[in-house]
Amino acid sequence: MDTIIRVQDLSKTFTTKERKKGQKKRKRVVEALKDVNLEVFAGENFGLLGPNGAGKTTLIKCLTTLLLPTTGTAWVNGYNIEKEEDKVRASLGCMLMGDRGLYWKLTGRENLDYFGALYHVPRDVRTKRIEYLIDLLKLEEFAHRTVETYSSGQKMLLAFAKALVNDAPILFFDEPTVTMDVPTARELRRIVRALNQEEGKTIVYTTHLMHEAEELCARVAIIDHGEIIALGSPNELKSSHVREDVVRMEGLLPPSVVERIRSIPGVRDVTVQAAPDGRASLAVMCSNSRHLLPRIIEAATGDGASIEYIKPQDVTLEDVFIAKTGRSLAVDTREIVKEVAGGGTGRG
Amino acid sequence: MAAPVAASRGFGLGRPGWRAKRDVVRTVFLARIRIISRYKGAILMEALLPIVFAAMPVLLGITVAAQQGGGADPGQLFCDRTRVNGVCTTNFKLYMLIGAATFTVVSLMLWLIGYWVRREQETGTLESLYLAPVRRIWVLAGVTSYAFVRAMIAFVIAITLGSVLFQVNPFTGGVGIALVFLAIGFLPLWGLAFMFGAFIMKIKEADSVIQVLQWVLAFLMGVFYPITLLPGYMQTVAGAFPPTVMTDGVRASILDISYFYNSMYGSLAVLFAMALVVPLLGYQVFEITERRLRRKEGVGHY
Repeated sequence: MDTIIRVQDLSKTFTTKERKKGQKKRKRVVEALKDVNLEVFAGENFGLLGPNGAGKTTLIKCLTTLLLPTTGTAWVNGYNIEKEEDKVRASLGCMLMGDRGLYWKLTGRENLDYFGALYHVPRDVRTKRIEYLIDLLKLEEFAHRTVETYSSGQKMLLAFAKALVNDAPILFFDEPTVTMDVPTARELRRIVRALNQEEGKTIVYTTHLMHEAEELCARVAIIDHGEIIALGSPNELKSSHVREDVVRMEGLLPPSVVERIRSIPGVRDVTVQAAPDGRASLAVMCSNSRHLLPRIIEAATGDGASIEYIKPQDVTLEDVFIAKTGRSLAVDTREIVKEVAGGGTGRG
Repeated sequence: MAAPVAASRGFGLGRPGWRAKRDVVRTVFLARIRIISRYKGAILMEALLPIVFAAMPVLLGITVAAQQGGGADPGQLFCDRTRVNGVCTTNFKLYMLIGAATFTVVSLMLWLIGYWVRREQETGTLESLYLAPVRRIWVLAGVTSYAFVRAMIAFVIAITLGSVLFQVNPFTGGVGIALVFLAIGFLPLWGLAFMFGAFIMKIKEADSVIQVLQWVLAFLMGVFYPITLLPGYMQTVAGAFPPTVMTDGVRASILDISYFYNSMYGSLAVLFAMALVVPLLGYQVFEITERRLRRKEGVGHY
């Protein structure tokens, strides 16, 4: 597979000054990204998953040339982010700031025309493209109105259309569904999937919603405290994550079945709750339910057994994140890692 | 160094080139015009400002002359006190009106750019601009063209209405030369506007800076007096400030009084040199500032 984005030892440090009551001004150094190395393949839908403040947006801002890295570099679409900025920008369609970044006193159509021009889309091509996007995203109802009259969801849709106006080969979406209602968010995810699968767009999608990452992304990088702590397909990440899983089973399950399940390597314990009608409810404790499920099912057949209900307790990407960091994705991790001029160091 | 990634997959629908750059200037210009046209009455209101601004010293001059008694002519009093190289004008109303109108042009050019940068920072559209492959010079060209048109509308309305109100004739002297001064004077003004925009982008505050700058500008430009009345070193500072040379040139050519740089050609030469240097300098300052900001917190940080 061709690499379309390569990030090499990329670090970004922010320095801010802060004065607390009765104290001298302190210089604070925030290491937003630490030696990030990453590859995104052409035509891939790549997810960046992490809590608020983990460094997702900083990484995206570096890749889209909004920020210059402190050290390290990256290439996007074959162009260096520091030396060939205009070519990098021309290769991208971005939705990074939610419903910000629109002109409120212009109509939706005028906004799309404006940004189309900034991306050097010729006027005749632009007009057709705008009509196509208005149709695709169902913006007809409000595209003629000034943006100041839009709801949050409508602004998000317009911002999404703006990212598609130049039909770029690489798309960056930073939490695009954040203020959308459920049906609109679902529709937007469908379009993102189609852009990737039908039009071959490379998509970098940041989110803190696990189900979005699992639904859309072929590979996911989990980022925390400015570092990539896990990288792989959602299934790889989940299956590589060793933990105690529970598989719940109900049905006609004779004692011999229970013994067979107990003998499967990886099964730690089986608890049985027997009902008066001969049915039983089992809880199978094992190291990796996803991995062991076929063998558990195989063991639970024969001897007159019949499974009426079986449900492995799925490992989620959030579980992977918790296992790696000890925290939930919902936790805001913006932090100061270094304090200069009299300050100590340390997290939190 | 060769990029260790696959070859480019193109730029989608983007077709860079001269036509695209021209299209950017046009689109940005039209968008700004559309936006201001949706704030009803904004352009007319700002055109009235220089008339009010000029009315204050005009009325003050008339009052002072009346206090002198004996039917003292305020125009003659003004002429006596502002004589340079033995030349002066008694048409003090037109002197004030031209000063106030050119000041409005300068002030509009600067604060429209300053407010534009600040507003774009606040609404997130500045980041959107920086995500696009267009060079900033073309966006700035669109915005400054808009500021130019808006400033010219204010100038023309102010001079026309002011001439009627103050009963003065602006077509007495070299109007053509005055327009040349105005036209050349806009170029260094663009450069100053770029520098001002860069400054606002860096400090992330527009209102207070504009408030202070208005008065510094008015003082340096000699809106209501010839800068030859200033102490020597201040004359040097004021004379190196392009809007001062522009105002002085417009006024001297219409009212047939002496130029700060001794002759029309002297003043034109200085203004022309400024027109060559200041825009380049301004754009350079803008680029350096934006690069520094991108090294730090980013241009869109507000």
